[in-house]
Amino acid sequence: MTETNNTQSSLSSRRSSRPSRKRKPKKSQLPKAYATLAVIILIGLGLSTISKTLALFWVIGLSFGFILQKAKFCFTASMRDPYLTGSTSVTRAVLIAFAITTVGFTAIKYGYFAKGLPIPGMGYVVPISLATAAGAFIFGIGMVIAGGCASGTLMRVGEGFTMQILSLFFFVVGSLWGAHDFGWWKLNFIVKGEAVFLPDVFGWFGAVVLQLLLIAALYIAAEKWENKKNEAH
Amino acid sequence: MDIKNNEFYKKWFKNSYTYVAGAVLLSIMQIVTLASTGNPWGVSGVFANWGAWIYEAIGGSVDKWYYFSSKGAQATLEAGFLNHAPSMRNIGIIFGALFASFAASQFKIKKIKSKKQIFAAIFGGLLMGYGARIGFGCNIGALYSGIASLSLSGWVFAVFMFLGAVVGSKLLVKYFM
Amino acid sequence: MSKEYELDCMGEACPVPLIKLENKLNELEVGDLVIVQIDHSCAMKNVPEWARKQGHNVEIEEVDDGEWEVFVEKAV
Repeated sequence: MTETNNTQSSLSSRRSSRPSRKRKPKKSQLPKAYATLAVIILIGLGLSTISKTLALFWVIGLSFGFILQKAKFCFTASMRDPYLTGSTSVTRAVLIAFAITTVGFTAIKYGYFAKGLPIPGMGYVVPISLATAAGAFIFGIGMVIAGGCASGTLMRVGEGFTMQILSLFFFVVGSLWGAHDFGWWKLNFIVKGEAVFLPDVFGWFGAVVLQLLLIAALYIAAEKWENKKNEAH
Repeated sequence: MDIKNNEFYKKWFKNSYTYVAGAVLLSIMQIVTLASTGNPWGVSGVFANWGAWIYEAIGGSVDKWYYFSSKGAQATLEAGFLNHAPSMRNIGIIFGALFASFAASQFKIKKIKSKKQIFAAIFGGLLMGYGARIGFGCNIGALYSGIASLSLSGWVFAVFMFLGAVVGSKLLVKYFM
Repeated sequence: MSKEYELDCMGEACPVPLIKLENKLNELEVGDLVIVQIDHSCAMKNVPEWARKQGHNVEIEEVDDGEWEVFVEKAV
């Protein structure tokens, strides 16, 4: 314990004994933040005159963007870092997000189901086929090379990364290409696939419990993985 | 009153949030999304529409494509970008991140540094776009929303996305660094 | 005599700063200091976190809007 303190304070004293380099006086960007906020509000008001739904999605998007940037939350890192650096802190955070969102989503869906109403969001329960595997695999390669996934790319555009502006443009191009080929994939693979909604197999309660148990197991595995990787150094 | 020294400014706007805090907040917003819009969060589907609108603007047509053949898809294309709520959500993400950066005085324009970055952005972007369409979504729509929606497809996506990430990491280190 | 190295990682994409730091630290000896210059907000979080978990002494300083210097003193 003492050793750490000694060495940590040795770093501090090394830093202070370095020739102090001339720092540009840091400009506060708060005025720009206020200006951006004004633009955001104006856009929101403008959208709400067209439809309230547009304004709602605008606000939701702003929230996601703000949170992603503040937490530097990166799904790409969650999958890349365990392999590349041995770190699983983002992986574990993603698993926590999966768990909490699962509970919230299931509660909402069950509420509708129990009332005999159509369950919201079922469009996201999609058929599983070779197309799913191929698409996910291709996406995984792309996101690591591009330095950001879908949400990460948008976040980085907002942070000023011009590389991600280029990446976004080609994401759009690739999406159009994929949409063009989608018919072929549908005919040859997707129609043969089946969508599996876990509550249909395990019941509502069973599905949630199993999924949470799986997430917990993955969480433990991720933590052990990181500890192992850190010891090896 | 100097806001920069205010403890709440520092906690909420200046300092980074922990990954776990991010996970909790994102989860809240995801749940808000499902509850208030009837669908979970999705990001990449929007890009196909942007592609279609741009393509149509330069004289192309997607009307014969299976992907855009449904009534809903046709109606969305007809109504255009300014009526497309999910597009506003994606733009909102950009502005939310922009605001967060300025508020923390962290914003900086980072120019592309090398040819490798250009190829990486092009190649990576194309792969993500294509993969997301045939995989029914991206890290948000297919992975995050899929899993949280108790769809087995989400887990299948996760497995293969992870394998892709491993391959991508090898390629990144070998060719793009 | 402990040495000091500057690692210019400005403009690098994720996760390049961290990989470069890892490689550099492997070449160095205990007591050497690496100063990683970054302008990537992801790196501002993941570089110090990784280096600390490895057992090194880490301090980070914001030198300008969106620019940081991460001081990593090799300790193990």
